Amino acid sequence: MKEVFIGRENLVRLIGRWAKDYRVYVPVTFEIMNEPETPDYALVGDEVPDTMELRGAAPATSPKTFLFYPREVVSHYPSSDDSAQVDAPPTVLVGPRACDLRGLQKFDKVYWSTEHFTEEYDDPFYIEKRKNTFIVSLDCTGAKETCFCTTVGGSPHPEDGYDLNLAPVEGGYVVAVGSEKGEALLAGSDDLVNQLNDTQTQERDRNRRSMTEAVTRQNAEFSVDTPHDKMDLEGTREVWADVTQNCVGCGACNRTCPTCTCFLLVDQQAKGGYERTRNWDTCLSIGFARTGGGGNSRAELPQRLENRLRCKFEHSRDRYGIVTCTGCGRCIDVCMGRIDMRQAIRDVVTEMAKA
Amino acid sequence: MKNIYRPIESVIEDIKPETSNITTYRFRPKEPLTFAAGQFVELTVPGVGEAPFTPSSNPNVKDTLEITIMRVGRVTEALEGLKVGETVGLRGPYGNGYDLSDFDGKEILIIGGGVGLAPLRSLILALFDNIDRYKGISIRYGARTPDDIVYRDLIPEWEKMKNTEVMLTIDAPHPEWSGTVGVVTVLLERVPAATETAVACVCGPPIMLKFVNLKLLEKGFKPENIYHSMERNMSCGLGKCGHCMMGEFYICKDGPVMTAAQIEKFEDPF
Repeated sequence: MKEVFIGRENLVRLIGRWAKDYRVYVPVTFEIMNEPETPDYALVGDEVPDTMELRGAAPATSPKTFLFYPREVVSHYPSSDDSAQVDAPPTVLVGPRACDLRGLQKFDKVYWSTEHFTEEYDDPFYIEKRKNTFIVSLDCTGAKETCFCTTVGGSPHPEDGYDLNLAPVEGGYVVAVGSEKGEALLAGSDDLVNQLNDTQTQERDRNRRSMTEAVTRQNAEFSVDTPHDKMDLEGTREVWADVTQNCVGCGACNRTCPTCTCFLLVDQQAKGGYERTRNWDTCLSIGFARTGGGGNSRAELPQRLENRLRCKFEHSRDRYGIVTCTGCGRCIDVCMGRIDMRQAIRDVVTEMAKA
Repeated sequence: MKNIYRPIESVIEDIKPETSNITTYRFRPKEPLTFAAGQFVELTVPGVGEAPFTPSSNPNVKDTLEITIMRVGRVTEALEGLKVGETVGLRGPYGNGYDLSDFDGKEILIIGGGVGLAPLRSLILALFDNIDRYKGISIRYGARTPDDIVYRDLIPEWEKMKNTEVMLTIDAPHPEWSGTVGVVTVLLERVPAATETAVACVCGPPIMLKFVNLKLLEKGFKPENIYHSMERNMSCGLGKCGHCMMGEFYICKDGPVMTAAQIEKFEDPF
């Protein structure tokens, strides 16, 4: 795998070059009511914003937002045209962290033909965007309190799944090329990169070790004996009622989650006929599993939160072979009931051990 | 790439009332759309939305399909406003359907409740097309009242088929009814002698599935020989939207036909 070094200013120049050919998003700092917020993506215009922030943890928004829009027209009808009209401009996304790349694995499995689906299930709206999106990931260099990637089999730096990865070191970044698309992003920019030296690789490796240790350390209190991919969270009615006590079913966790893939199709009148939109949905809403006749297999909120958590640890594992909690901590960050996924898992596992 | 969300325009060719709130529609899709017994389609009422239905017609008829629909919600109410000649949308087929080769040489018990006889009619007609391959077909059907029985005009024809019997019941005594009274499980006291090998195909309201399942197990049916038609909110039909998820299963893809063996690990699968 090719690795080079790029100085900080040269990276800004490189991103500027990309912005001529692609839609480029980078994380930027911003404030609300004079309070700093978690950095989030902004579109790069003529200039790379000087608020670009490549340090710290993952941006507030997960990359799914760029590949699976919150709301998107998926069909105009009546129509005899069998082909999908997808708007998928070439896009470079700078900023996803390792947890986000793991999140995309779930999307690839659900929306793109894999061992789990035949081709006729291919989702053109995801696939076209995915193909046209270049992922430039970053080593995580500052975990939030709510980060727990290491407890769910992840790490603060990506091993694969990126086109380019940037690891911050003194004066710049170690750039790792992970794919042909990554090669393409560097093509014609030899003037901006240098050969990597041993000091830089050592610094990168040292940073990675210390970040991994820091994340592991801050989650010590949540550790359970059961490995993350062997969880059985059946629990009891009581323990799930307890976990759900502060849940209001708002679905903010679903929306920020990098692996929540579920949606709702909504039809409405439109110019020349009708249109069908695909909208992010939340399995915590009471109507999610409701059938036409009024039946509801998850009528109670604790059943729905149980389903959401078990989906991450058990159902995805049993269906797709991957645990889909990536430890990004976003569901904890946004929960107005202050429900902590780590605490919930520990409560259920502890209760099961007692039984 | 192909658009998996596009409905195929389909003309309403016939509307036949079955009961006060159940109607059978015949649709002619403008593009090929065929199905196997037990598979379902997504029916679009233009501008209103989609809902999943299992066709009730013979899957060997390729150019039209019939769906028997009970008025229960938004989409089905809007459908009632449409007339012969108007169009709806159809997508599919989706799901697994019944694997009829599993039934070769066996006694087949078909148990339906209410509008749940609709998907089973498609199965029954497919079985009739090759009736000599099966040891016998026994249809047990329960409706709330005599007026709620669907396919009243068709059932006498089924009774005339070789190796076929039909048994009916209604939930409560009724002045115009001289037959069996009680929920459909009362028709399951007598079942095929060889329950070890017999198969049962069940479709009806969730509460019925639950008790029929218990009864069949008690009578000696093997869980892998009891085929339930599961009711979930199959919204996309493509194993993606998540609405029909049950544990690791997507009912729209792994079902809607699921054996009792597949779902026995769930506390209350119905």
